[in-house]
Amino acid sequence: MTDNHTSTLEIFRQVGAVRETFIRIDAAGQITAYNGHVDLGTGIEVALAQIVAEELNIPLDRVRVVLGNTEEVPDQGPTIASETMQITAIPLRKAAAQAHRQLLRLGALRLNAPEEDVTSTDGAVHWQAERCDYGTLIAGQEIALPLDLETPVKDPAHYQIVGTSAPRRDMMEKLTGQQLYVHDLDIEGMVHGHVIRPPYAGRDTGDFIGNSLIDYDASSVSGMDGLIDVVRIGDFLGVVAERPEQAQRIAEALDVTWRQPPPLPDLDDLVHSLKSHPSTPRALDRSGDFETGMAESAKTLARTYVWPYHEHGSIGPSCAVADWNGADPIVWSGTQSPHLLRADLAMLVDLPAETIDVRRYQVAGCFGRNCADDVCGDALLLSRATGKPVRVQLTRAQEHLWEPKGAAQIMEVEGGMTAGNDLHAYALDTWYPSNRGPNLALLLTGVISGEPRPADMGDRTSIPPYRVPHKKITVHDMAPIVRAAYIRGVSALPNTFAHESFIDEMAFEASEDPVAFRLRHMTDPREAELVRRTAEAAGWEKHDGPRFRREGRMAFGQGFAFATYVHGTFPGVAAASAAWVVDVSVDLESGVVTLHRVFVGQDQGLAINPDGVRQQIHGNVIQTAGRVLTEQVTFDEITPTPKSWATYPIQTFSEVPDIQTLIVSRPEDPPLGVGESAAVPSAAAIANAIFDATGVRMREAPFTPEAMRKALGNTDGPLRLQGQAEANDNGRRNKLLGWAGALAGALTLGAVSLPLHPPIQPSPAPKPGTFSAETLERGRQVFALGDCAICHTADGGLTNAGGRAMETPFGTVWTTNLTPDPDTGLGNWSYEAFSRAMRRGISRDGSHLYPAFPYTSFAKIGEEDMFALYAHLQTLEPVKAETPTAQMMAPVNIRSGMALWNAAYHDAAPFQPDASASEIWNRGKYLVEAAGHCSACHAPRNLLGAEQSLMTGTMVDGWFAPALQGTEAGARGWTADSLFAYLRTGLSDHAAAAGPMAEVVSSMTALPDDDIRAMSVYLASLIPPGAPTMHATPPSLAPDATHRIFESACAVCHDPAMPDLVTAARVPLAASAVLRAPTPEAFRSLLDQGIEAPVNLDLRDMPSFRNEFTSAQRDSLAAYMRARFAPDLPAW
Amino acid sequence: MAGTIKLTVNGQALSLDADTHLTLLDLLRHRLGLNGPKYGCGMAQCGACTVLVDGAPARACVLRAVKANGASVTTLEGLPDTETGEMHPVQQAFDEKQAAQCGYCINGMIMNTVALLAHNPSPTDDDIRQAHRHHLCRCGTHLEIIAAVRTAAENLAAKTEEHAR
Repeated sequence: MTDNHTSTLEIFRQVGAVRETFIRIDAAGQITAYNGHVDLGTGIEVALAQIVAEELNIPLDRVRVVLGNTEEVPDQGPTIASETMQITAIPLRKAAAQAHRQLLRLGALRLNAPEEDVTSTDGAVHWQAERCDYGTLIAGQEIALPLDLETPVKDPAHYQIVGTSAPRRDMMEKLTGQQLYVHDLDIEGMVHGHVIRPPYAGRDTGDFIGNSLIDYDASSVSGMDGLIDVVRIGDFLGVVAERPEQAQRIAEALDVTWRQPPPLPDLDDLVHSLKSHPSTPRALDRSGDFETGMAESAKTLARTYVWPYHEHGSIGPSCAVADWNGADPIVWSGTQSPHLLRADLAMLVDLPAETIDVRRYQVAGCFGRNCADDVCGDALLLSRATGKPVRVQLTRAQEHLWEPKGAAQIMEVEGGMTAGNDLHAYALDTWYPSNRGPNLALLLTGVISGEPRPADMGDRTSIPPYRVPHKKITVHDMAPIVRAAYIRGVSALPNTFAHESFIDEMAFEASEDPVAFRLRHMTDPREAELVRRTAEAAGWEKHDGPRFRREGRMAFGQGFAFATYVHGTFPGVAAASAAWVVDVSVDLESGVVTLHRVFVGQDQGLAINPDGVRQQIHGNVIQTAGRVLTEQVTFDEITPTPKSWATYPIQTFSEVPDIQTLIVSRPEDPPLGVGESAAVPSAAAIANAIFDATGVRMREAPFTPEAMRKALGNTDGPLRLQGQAEANDNGRRNKLLGWAGALAGALTLGAVSLPLHPPIQPSPAPKPGTFSAETLERGRQVFALGDCAICHTADGGLTNAGGRAMETPFGTVWTTNLTPDPDTGLGNWSYEAFSRAMRRGISRDGSHLYPAFPYTSFAKIGEEDMFALYAHLQTLEPVKAETPTAQMMAPVNIRSGMALWNAAYHDAAPFQPDASASEIWNRGKYLVEAAGHCSACHAPRNLLGAEQSLMTGTMVDGWFAPALQGTEAGARGWTADSLFAYLRTGLSDHAAAAGPMAEVVSSMTALPDDDIRAMSVYLASLIPPGAPTMHATPPSLAPDATHRIFESACAVCHDPAMPDLVTAARVPLAASAVLRAPTPEAFRSLLDQGIEAPVNLDLRDMPSFRNEFTSAQRDSLAAYMRARFAPDLPAW
Repeated sequence: MAGTIKLTVNGQALSLDADTHLTLLDLLRHRLGLNGPKYGCGMAQCGACTVLVDGAPARACVLRAVKANGASVTTLEGLPDTETGEMHPVQQAFDEKQAAQCGYCINGMIMNTVALLAHNPSPTDDDIRQAHRHHLCRCGTHLEIIAAVRTAAENLAAKTEEHAR
């Protein structure tokens, strides 16, 4: 190794005190190339290696490329604007050529040959029959040459490696899980941070930025497992814990008080909001005299095009690790801009930039500025505070909410043509509220303020590629409205949407074929050639107006668009040119636009790695198709609303079109960037194809089914059920008020002359060995059947120690401690006292219990079972736990008033078997009615909270206990067998236990099969005969945003693509009791709480969607699912 | 609540202490250092976390480890031949078709393909699209992935034939 170290040939550039290396060759003849850009997943690594290998005449596998580490690579700015191959590869290529020249010189000396006669192949210099490899040539020497940009490079005619497809070199690691992404790093001593973001998600402008955290209560998380620290600086708030899941739990539990942020402008109305946002017009092209040109025009048009906000949508939420390392920090990062990040971090922690070592690792494709840099700031602050290396992994919601969005954009175009249909005047005004996304940690900590920061990035590709004598091109420079930064295609994609739609509109006005019209106005022969060749190869069908080709409800069309992507500060630099021919169909009923084939012709000069170029075209087409057809960030009053793919769906396999490519290779020309160009014509090409199919012009993206239906005048829109959901909500509130009033009246009348019950004297707990094993086993079963532990255990509390809040219409009552603790539990209860409480609802001290405790059922428990239950309870582990005082509304809070209630509604008579029925039936009835107390949940209650006689289903604590009797029970098709399966395992062919019922089934696993069978037989006897009716035909629902929520959030488990998906739901939604409840309340509970199924049952979980949706989205989803899966029932 | 979970992971029998809320994904990544499965959404929406549980695909981000108790779990790392180290035919097909860009989603694509081919050894293109419709890729590598699944099916069929001979 020492030899290798001292034997080098290096090409460098001196920048101030920093020496930047481009090429290093060692004694083994290995080449290391350094480039300041990073691989964003596009495979630039192999393309750069190809360039270096080509100049050095060395096999590709001998070249290693180092990308993006600030300590090692030159500062070449952020990896943006498709510049890597076109711009940053130039010095590298020169450096490789210079190193090669030096090696030839050394070889000539070594081989005693004339310098001009030596050649090189395969990593060695040759002369006549002799050869000497590169490593040998530099052995023992340390050669360092300053980069000479005048070095001649290889004639492309002699290329052997460049221009030939080469596979990526990171593929095998990625395919086997060995590729270390930044998410995968495990630095020694590393702990885990989790950030708590302010309520102004996705905002960066205003004096509330960095200024909204009122307080947090550290005691709310003290003692939680793994907690290391809570760190607050301004609005920056984070917790650090030993393990990642601990950090997240602590962060979610931390009690934080924020100031409410001010509202956003109405971003449903983008035209108004963007145009009224402060901006400064900047003239870009004023050739000719636009006003005169318009006046001279025979035909004029004025059009407005609207582009929505987009998410970058990386599949992996951002992650970073930082080690403060005694003020000599190391940051492991997925940044797109290592040197800019280093400068930001230096400002954040007030250190010189050179002290910070940013090590770049691969991440999920980002396509622009996402949260990759922000999370480095988070990790560094937390590491500084704790002195340990800290990893921060953002959640999906944090990434979605906070990533700087791809900005919305408004384009106004005005233009005119002469009588001879020549373009004569053209004006574009474009509004693009975006900048480069200042680092969030700088904003949250107040290191920089929330002042507006306008940028100049709206001017990309703002000049149309056509000959127009009179032009007036203006960009309105402006600051972001919400956090925004560059995304693939930057402002060029929306600007081209405007140019290329407008040119199509003009062609239509001229009654001319759109491709012919373009060609007639093109000035650059290379661009014209691309357009011609693409149209020809794609089989362009000439037309001079919409053709309205129909097959049934489907309309078919073809569209064209072209652009040379011009990026960088105006006038900018041209990357590759691309032309699209797209074949679409439009479903005239549903409004669904389908791309059948996209043909892309692209001229990128020299194609270094043709397969790599083709893959970039595919990626651009597929990703952009999603952006154009579906994607759109929505907003509420304050923030963006998408928090996951549920409300921001992206392209899926089902929608991917056939893609064909024409790569126009020009080896004699320099390589042009290909990372974005094929995206740029997308929106216009699709809009133009829709016009051909339907005659309808789509000027506002995305072209969703609902937007398409609206444009087609198809008013049979999606279901409108939101209002009904609200009405139901009100109805429920009214019912509750009625209940309370009636109960109050009853109690007021009767409260005066009620008998008081005497307390029963404390009695010490029975001694061990008092009860027989049989009695205890029987008691354990009754205890399980009665689900006692469920209600008498608080969430996260000690088992059977009580403290679970029972919400009743009359207030909250907390369950009591069942363990034999003498002070707070049943330790001082004699059997007499216990039996009285169970049968009559009177506590040992003589006070009345509320009937939330189902003594009305328990009264029917047989004497033997009751004693066995008592025995079981007395042998539990004693736990000291006070029961909170019930919070009941007056006058229900007068417990003695319950005596009147008991007089009216409580039948304390013991269970009476029906002699005419079977033994098993009677056994089942006893279990159901007594200890099982099924009616406590499944029977509706009257206004005074008393159970009605039939178990026809009702709401309990936000959940729906479905009907066990009556027509609705019949509709679900229950039988004794399916009931047995359900009660035994929690799962039958058409029901899976969830919520409280899952706990009941879990508890009942203690019971023998015979008892479960008996209950099933009895319950089946209650169900009226007849066929199940619930599988009615669902209505055809017009696809809309709610349908997309279902498809992207629910379908994976409820309409699984893989039949054996382990995490899929087992019961079809058409059988869901929740969707068959009278109101959507249980649906909302289920969405909020999800399902965490009991561990002892083979039932599946469902994640909580508590934070996923706005209330409007939740209501629409409820209405949609009810309509789709319970079409036989009234709409919600 | 903590407890002991028994799992066989990539052929290795393990007994681990874990609380009942811990996801299989967190257990695999942060306890066992298996980085093939990725955290993408935590809501079963994207598929980046997919593993095989007793041979069937599972979204490890919503599957609690305790719910996989007793199961045999296979991750991306467990696919290559344990003796030769040779990549699984599905992995080889993805390599052949260069079916990854950033590669973050590719774990899910490969695991789901293994699961698909287990019960449908010769899927049509439409079968492939349907089977992967709940797996997200932002880079737009879909066409290469479809081609890779096709190739994987062919490779596996050839291998089966070889075995039969």
